[in-house]
Amino acid sequence: MPGRLMEPDGALIPFSTEVDVPLYNIQHGVKLPIFRIFVSWSRSNLLQVACIRPFEDDFNNEEDTGTSDGGDLGGKVVEVKLGASDPQISEAQRRRIAYGSVSPFAFLQGRKNALAMMSRMSSSSFGDWWQHVLEYSRSILELLENTNPPSRSVIEDPRIVLKLVNKPTGLKAAWQLMEMFYVDKHSLTWLPEQLVDWVAEYDCILSETEVTVHSKLFKLQEKLVNLQVIEDDPEYWEALSSALTVGWLDAVVKLLRLHGSYQLNQMDSRETENGLVEAVAVLVSTMPRLRHDLPAGKLGQCYKTKPDFIKAWEKWRGQITKLDCSAFWVHCGHRQTREGLRNLLQIMLGNMNNISNASFHWMELFVSHFLYIKPLTMSFEEMHRLAQKCLQLKSSSLSNGLTRLIVGALGENIEVVIAECSKSFGPWYGMKCILLMITHALELLAADSNQNEILFSERYNLGGISIVELHRIVYAQVLFSHSLTSQIAPTYLASCPKQGLGLLEISLSRQPVQNYTLILKDLEICRLYELDKICSFVKKITGMHQWKHGRKGSGIYWFQKAGDESRLNQIAQQLFECIGSSNTNETFKQWEGLIELLGPDVGTAGGLGFLHRYRDFKNSLRHVQYGRATDTARHSVELLIQLLKSPSTPQLLWLPLLHDSVKLLNWKDRPLLNAAETNLLLSKLQELSMLQLLPDSPQLDLPPLELASIRLALATNLSRAFLEE
Amino acid sequence: MADSGDLQLFRYPQSKFVDAVRWLHPVSAFDRFIATAVHDTDDASSAVEIHSLSFSPESRNPNKPLLHLRSNWPSPSRISALRTSETHQKHVVAAVSTFAGSVHFLFVDPVDVSIDLELSNDECQPMHNGPVSAVDLQSGGHECVSVGEDGRVNLVSVGEGRLDSQQLHDNRGLISYTAVRWGSQAEFATGGFGFGLQWWDKRKPGGLVSQFKGNWDQKNTTGIVHSIDIHPSRKHISVVGGSSGTVFAWDLRWQQQPILLSGVSLSGTGRSTCESEIWEIQYDIHAQTSSISSTSSTKILPVMACSEDGILAVIEQGKPHTELLAEDCAINSFNIDPQNPADVVCALEWESIGILMRAKESASVY
Repeated sequence: MPGRLMEPDGALIPFSTEVDVPLYNIQHGVKLPIFRIFVSWSRSNLLQVACIRPFEDDFNNEEDTGTSDGGDLGGKVVEVKLGASDPQISEAQRRRIAYGSVSPFAFLQGRKNALAMMSRMSSSSFGDWWQHVLEYSRSILELLENTNPPSRSVIEDPRIVLKLVNKPTGLKAAWQLMEMFYVDKHSLTWLPEQLVDWVAEYDCILSETEVTVHSKLFKLQEKLVNLQVIEDDPEYWEALSSALTVGWLDAVVKLLRLHGSYQLNQMDSRETENGLVEAVAVLVSTMPRLRHDLPAGKLGQCYKTKPDFIKAWEKWRGQITKLDCSAFWVHCGHRQTREGLRNLLQIMLGNMNNISNASFHWMELFVSHFLYIKPLTMSFEEMHRLAQKCLQLKSSSLSNGLTRLIVGALGENIEVVIAECSKSFGPWYGMKCILLMITHALELLAADSNQNEILFSERYNLGGISIVELHRIVYAQVLFSHSLTSQIAPTYLASCPKQGLGLLEISLSRQPVQNYTLILKDLEICRLYELDKICSFVKKITGMHQWKHGRKGSGIYWFQKAGDESRLNQIAQQLFECIGSSNTNETFKQWEGLIELLGPDVGTAGGLGFLHRYRDFKNSLRHVQYGRATDTARHSVELLIQLLKSPSTPQLLWLPLLHDSVKLLNWKDRPLLNAAETNLLLSKLQELSMLQLLPDSPQLDLPPLELASIRLALATNLSRAFLEE
Repeated sequence: MADSGDLQLFRYPQSKFVDAVRWLHPVSAFDRFIATAVHDTDDASSAVEIHSLSFSPESRNPNKPLLHLRSNWPSPSRISALRTSETHQKHVVAAVSTFAGSVHFLFVDPVDVSIDLELSNDECQPMHNGPVSAVDLQSGGHECVSVGEDGRVNLVSVGEGRLDSQQLHDNRGLISYTAVRWGSQAEFATGGFGFGLQWWDKRKPGGLVSQFKGNWDQKNTTGIVHSIDIHPSRKHISVVGGSSGTVFAWDLRWQQQPILLSGVSLSGTGRSTCESEIWEIQYDIHAQTSSISSTSSTKILPVMACSEDGILAVIEQGKPHTELLAEDCAINSFNIDPQNPADVVCALEWESIGILMRAKESASVY
């Protein structure tokens, strides 16, 4: 059965169904009861859920629960994919944006710090700071572009009124809005025209399901190929008026020139009609616009200053009124043309009814106000009120993220903007994209110095960090969750003054250690941010991992690099236990290699120094076996005495040493140990036997037979040494 | 995307992590192929992909070569190393090693770069216990040496319908090897932790001929060999790239005195290109073409190195380094085209392939 957690009996954690949370059904197929659930992140946005049943033994004790009918599993791990598969931005594309946005962000932060330093020294202000942010914003905008460039056809088809481009992403639309409102100080003076441009670019994504001017024109364009008498079709006139309301002047003029009266064979009979169409087309193309510049190919007349514009506007309006009242309309025989053209004139005159009928989405209605009703710049407050009104009039249009973003921005409520960004882009792009977006968008918002207070003030309810820092931290965590993006997360954490480094330390110490190249990459980050503690921590973990997997050499290497003396000592301890017990050639080679690895500076690693001496002793002892040279045997004795005198030699090793000494004690040619040396050995043997009697001593395994043979050899040697002396 | 003057870098986003890149040796001078080892994190799959490189005058930037995926071989595990050899019996051979401890040979048709045959070792007896850290293919393409962190050195050769492997050495994890490179038909060099280097001869019992313990790395920094290169005309010298920006040359004639080319030595001297890991190094045949005949045999020829902090540079003994690239992300691997030594392909950390084109005639600049 599907794991329906909503059912009260199956619910592991109680939650109320009223809260609107996304629910994921898990087909775990494990028989109830489940007693433990482990949740962990897997690659990308996969969540691994492990459902574990109680132990079978405990289970069988309960009589009423059935036993092994199919539900034999002790548990199961299920993968859950969070977030619907993204229609607009794939995971790989999202990562590409994440990579690309790092450098501009780091660059901007660097500039900010440099400026802050400068202003501290020379008290110069952040006057043109916004221009730096604008530069940053443009580079991000470039990233948000759809990758494929639009195909350009060489021959311009007069029937193509709408250029077919790749659908722009909503992210880009939102980004551009933010840039318009918060960064570009130049644009604020001609914000209305900016909004008109914005609608022209993004009208196609304003609504997925409902009619927009774009969809209307798109439909007409498909029909155009088959239409014979275009002006008889009501859709032609509807599309014309719609395009005009949102100010797509070039599309309007293009469409008007497709009017049947332009055809050569009809020129004579429809002269008046053609004159009227052309007059309207000319009026449309000479519409005065209050803006900095017009991109090439766009129609209208551009005025930079208000007085110039007002003059031209009055004149233009006068021409429209004149044409509207002219007598030629009576002579125009074609009813549709007459009505359609007059409708266009009414729209240009700012007739609210006509405009409202021709527009669909509230944004379209909104921008038409700037074009035809109140072309002079309004205050934010007025715009906000207007937006509310348009929303009411076009209440059928669903409010989406972009809508709320605009209203929030016009309402000068930055908190609403942030909240809307995070909330409403959710269903569109999946969580990671929003975070990416917001983290960077906050940089834009911060360009507006009025907002700095809100964004950068530390808040008690956020644990003492600012809104900006909160979002950077969350974003960095998301980046850390993916193995490929984890490398870029530190850039964001480094710009979090309060909790950034702390989180960086935690995240770095949780990175996987299976692959040594990845570890080196992490260590590189530690080095850059001077996290020496984490550096040695990571090395220790790596050493442990390598040691456990039998790669003893690299394990020791990492421990040495980490300066982990306690573990190195443990290893040495282990080494002995195996050396003390077995003495075959093979193991000797193995531990000789290990000692080699432990290096010459083992003195620093605590009690490992004796290991080297022990190795030397063992080596010389092996030579003694082959040759019969007394000199080498005497050398062995010296090593043995050194070992036994050294306080670092553990007691564990004494017995094997004494055992080895028997061979030297029984040297045939002459006694190798003098009386004092023999006494030292004897006292060690005595100490060992005494230790065994102590109640809290470590349990030493001293076979009595062996002890006796050592004692005998010692005694014999002592007597020989006396005789010698 | 053009960089300054004579250098042009073109980036090709892959949407997959690029583990390694190699040029494939073509039969005709007009074809250019690149083999890449990629890892897709979305579905945790790995593959070898072979791309063709071509120029199209119609594209937006006619200078930018186009990269087309031509064939693809799915790998059972993530790829740790990729090497290609010259044409061998009508095929180009690519050797691939994986994190699962296996080695595979791919026989690629040199004309249409389809993968004709794939040979791997016996699955029941993995050659390495754990990941294979490096492989190197003999120039003929019939034999390959593989080393691993488990301390094994294996010789792999083409057998009847599968690969035959012979264990040359096994130290049971006492020494981990991280790099390997053939020096001649029978000799090769390996490298590992602590800048340790070994010279092997497969004809000798046990194989090991001589070794170097480079214990000069400081306490806090790691000293791991990542890459070795040996010039065919100077077999006694191995150039080595590793941690902390270290590049040095190990001359078999003066074994205990390595020549530091870049990085910081114990005495604190030495010029440093960067302080981060040098992931791969290779003799820069482009810079050598002019100088190889005139230089004495003791002089180290110029080498190219790529690093974790995104630098691709040409390092020459006694001269300031020439920085070719300074990227925002790590350059994990690169390869100089043996046919057109001016061109370099590199694997960038941010899931893309970069192709760097240097001016062909200005070799004497370096």
